[in-house]
Amino acid sequence: MLHRELELAWGSPAGLRGMLTVVNHGTLGLRFMVTGLVFFLLGGVLAMLVRTQLAFPDQDFMSPDVYSQVTTMHGTVMMFLFAIPVLEGLAIYLIPKMIGTRDLACPRLTAFGYWCYLFGGIILFSSLLLDMAPDSGWFMYTPLSSGEYSPGSGSDFWLLGITFVEISALSAGVELTVSILRTRASGMALHRMPLFAWYILAMALMIVVGFPPLILGSVLLELERAVGMPFFAVAGGGDPVLWQHLFWLFGHPEVYIIFLPAAGIVSTLIPVFAGRPMVGYGWIVASILITGFISFGLWVHHMFTVGIPQLAQAFFSAASMLVAVPTAIQVFVWLTTLWLGRPRMTLPMLWVLGFLVIFVCGGLTGVMLALVPFNWQVHDTHFVVAHMHYVLVGGMFFPLMAGLYYWLPLVTGRMPSESLGRLGFWLTFSGFNLTFLIMHWTGLLGMPRRIASYESAMGWDIYNLISSVGGFMMSAGIAVVLLDLALHGRFGRLAPRNPWCADTLEWAVATPPTSYTFASLPQVTSRHPLWEFPQLGESIRLGEHERAGAPHGRRELLGTDPLTGRVREIIHLPGNSVWPLAAALVLAVVCISLLVRLYPLALVAFVVAACMLLRWSWENGAHASATPLGDNEPSDPALHSRTPDGPGRWTMGVALLADGAFFLSLLFGWCYLWTVSPQWRMPDVSPLSLPMMIASGLALTLAASWLGRRCRAIVAGREEGLARAFAGIAALGGVHLLLLLTLAVQAALAPTDSAHDAVLWVGLAYLLVHATLATVLMLLQARRAALGLVSARLPFEPGVVLLFWRYHTGAYWILVAAIGVLPRVLGANA
Amino acid sequence: MSTPRRWPAPSHPLQLILGLSLWSLWFVVLYGGLSVACEMAPPEPSRGVFTAHNATLGLLSLATLGLLLWLAWSCLSASRRQEGVACYLSMVSAGLHLFSGGGVVVVGLPLLMLPPCL
Repeated sequence: MLHRELELAWGSPAGLRGMLTVVNHGTLGLRFMVTGLVFFLLGGVLAMLVRTQLAFPDQDFMSPDVYSQVTTMHGTVMMFLFAIPVLEGLAIYLIPKMIGTRDLACPRLTAFGYWCYLFGGIILFSSLLLDMAPDSGWFMYTPLSSGEYSPGSGSDFWLLGITFVEISALSAGVELTVSILRTRASGMALHRMPLFAWYILAMALMIVVGFPPLILGSVLLELERAVGMPFFAVAGGGDPVLWQHLFWLFGHPEVYIIFLPAAGIVSTLIPVFAGRPMVGYGWIVASILITGFISFGLWVHHMFTVGIPQLAQAFFSAASMLVAVPTAIQVFVWLTTLWLGRPRMTLPMLWVLGFLVIFVCGGLTGVMLALVPFNWQVHDTHFVVAHMHYVLVGGMFFPLMAGLYYWLPLVTGRMPSESLGRLGFWLTFSGFNLTFLIMHWTGLLGMPRRIASYESAMGWDIYNLISSVGGFMMSAGIAVVLLDLALHGRFGRLAPRNPWCADTLEWAVATPPTSYTFASLPQVTSRHPLWEFPQLGESIRLGEHERAGAPHGRRELLGTDPLTGRVREIIHLPGNSVWPLAAALVLAVVCISLLVRLYPLALVAFVVAACMLLRWSWENGAHASATPLGDNEPSDPALHSRTPDGPGRWTMGVALLADGAFFLSLLFGWCYLWTVSPQWRMPDVSPLSLPMMIASGLALTLAASWLGRRCRAIVAGREEGLARAFAGIAALGGVHLLLLLTLAVQAALAPTDSAHDAVLWVGLAYLLVHATLATVLMLLQARRAALGLVSARLPFEPGVVLLFWRYHTGAYWILVAAIGVLPRVLGANA
Repeated sequence: MSTPRRWPAPSHPLQLILGLSLWSLWFVVLYGGLSVACEMAPPEPSRGVFTAHNATLGLLSLATLGLLLWLAWSCLSASRRQEGVACYLSMVSAGLHLFSGGGVVVVGLPLLMLPPCL
């Protein structure tokens, strides 16, 4: 009865409808991982093509043009379509189970992220099949990737496809952050949280802050290519080095975004196979936080050769060495835990040990590269390629394999083959080192990266041949692993419950897990719940804990305090929905329209996608298709939409962090071009009318302050005239929008003539989009208040909208100061 | 167990990111300030490290270091009076503030050795 109720509430309809509308974290996490695996195999084929080309000197197996496409796509696919999505998929699949809840806090966002990833990946990869793939390297340096030197569609595929895929990464980043902070099991205080959750929390926040600079860079470069706004062209007042800054502001944290979840896998497995708690839990947590921050202070070490003052290089050199400290702390904690425990050399542990060896070597060459003179010597050689693969394959792929073997019994209920698994490991490990250890020497001998062929006289022949043989050996190893995965579902022995004697909650669910994950929600009193209560899984299944069953038919989680894990409210989740798929599909139309330069269609599709997303947000709270008000509602704790706080508010807050990172990147671009660009032209008189900016800002500030007062009144139980007040606030928002629009028109900017006007244009567009959205959201709130969907009993939504209004107000005044006031104060010649 | 949540109590969860945020802010000012100063008023190369640029950034670094050490000390001493999650947060925060202070010293050290704009 208990399980039937839960299955009714949480299950998906059968057939195509269920497949397309599912929002469950388990299904979507697996989809992320399987899709990522497909892209990994495609990227692996590209790598083998590269190694075939380089195996012998003077090869013409591929033309230089095709070779450039293949190397660019190999890097792009592995970084953007494999590494990040697979780790996100793993986190999406595991986090709810590990923190003792039934699903992620924003299940429709999970589905939306998956569809954006799938469509973006297909669009990007299709460029290779159409023989118009990007060929400027996976970091797309300008001016090589600009219209002048890459006139085809390759760069556009990269810029638009990657931006589309990044929507997916940001979605996952936002919802993982909110889920970990607000939906942990009762009693799971911060200091009892599984280490894997700490790592994923850091990764998610790094995605939220780290991806927007690249999104901004991609938007600017696409604007330059499509309509000629000269952000990166020196003649127009731009600077190509700005692209490098924006790319590496994302690109270096990206390495740690990939490494941290993989290290989370290692930190989960080592205590289990050492048979003892992790030594220095606090040290690991501190290391995670340090890595998360310091990794944002290293980006210039990718740019040591562009001509930066020595002192500035020294700052980044020192910071690059500093980041080795938290990594070393983790390695020593892992080794100490193994030293003090009784390690079991199982298949997952084999991959963990492989990781330790390879990653430590990669870390050491990283410290070498942090030294400026050495960096200059090996810049753009195969030494850097070898280092990067040691860090990324060692730091991500090996732990991922360890995790795959470790959690496979949880997913399928069967054990992998020990003999096939070991053969796969040794082939991969040997092949990897044969390829990339040798490549260090090839690089030290001076072989540059991204060259399609070389002469025999250079003396690189034998090293390249060994690397190619190693590459194919590694491929054979991965093929054996895949064979093991394929066969284990049929021939693997049935897995007992908790086959590795693990301590974390994911092993307390059924294998394979059910759609509702936990039949009842346990209380947690230690860091190792399954070591403390080995029978916890059985009592959960019998419904002996919180919120057993679902007689009301709702999908329910417990919302808990982010610090103490005390229960605060009951979060009710939406069910299956077609909106995520529909919105992602229409965004794919936007992407393709921009690629083929059908801008009117792109605009129409963008508006349709926005309407779909707003419609999606409409079906929330007390809406008839969500959780309408009733007589027998729980009051202690209450449903989240009946409180002023809840996951939506946190989701908005974290999403605004990403928005803020985008905004700060834009400000950085403005200041950078103003200060550094050699042909930057600041006009004598600013084209922006200061009185108009102030008038528009006053309307906005007045509206935001009025909304703040109304929100406080609702929480205090005063709801009279709510709809009218919200309509009034929306009207003030409309005035602000109108004044802003007038300001933009009056400015008569010429964004294709100068980078100055182009940046102003983007800044104004940013404000206009936010002003429009703020006004529309307020109008919707007014309508919802009129329909009784917002009231003193339903105070949740205005608080969410208020956060957006406050953000927009802050961003507006900061931008006014930066582009309207500062040039007037400092003068045109500053 | 009572958990002080009043900012800036040593056991406030935001202490976990306060020290590192200060380090980040200092780093941005260090690099950004140097870049802008070198662009607007580059000193004579013959003056070596004895420039207003190095001195200003050095004083800023010392002030940041002092603040971080004070934060570390206040968290550490508070952790001795607490237990549970509050003790844990204070302890880890103290370590993070201390590390951030070390980060200021390591990254700021070149100010004593290199001229600013060459």
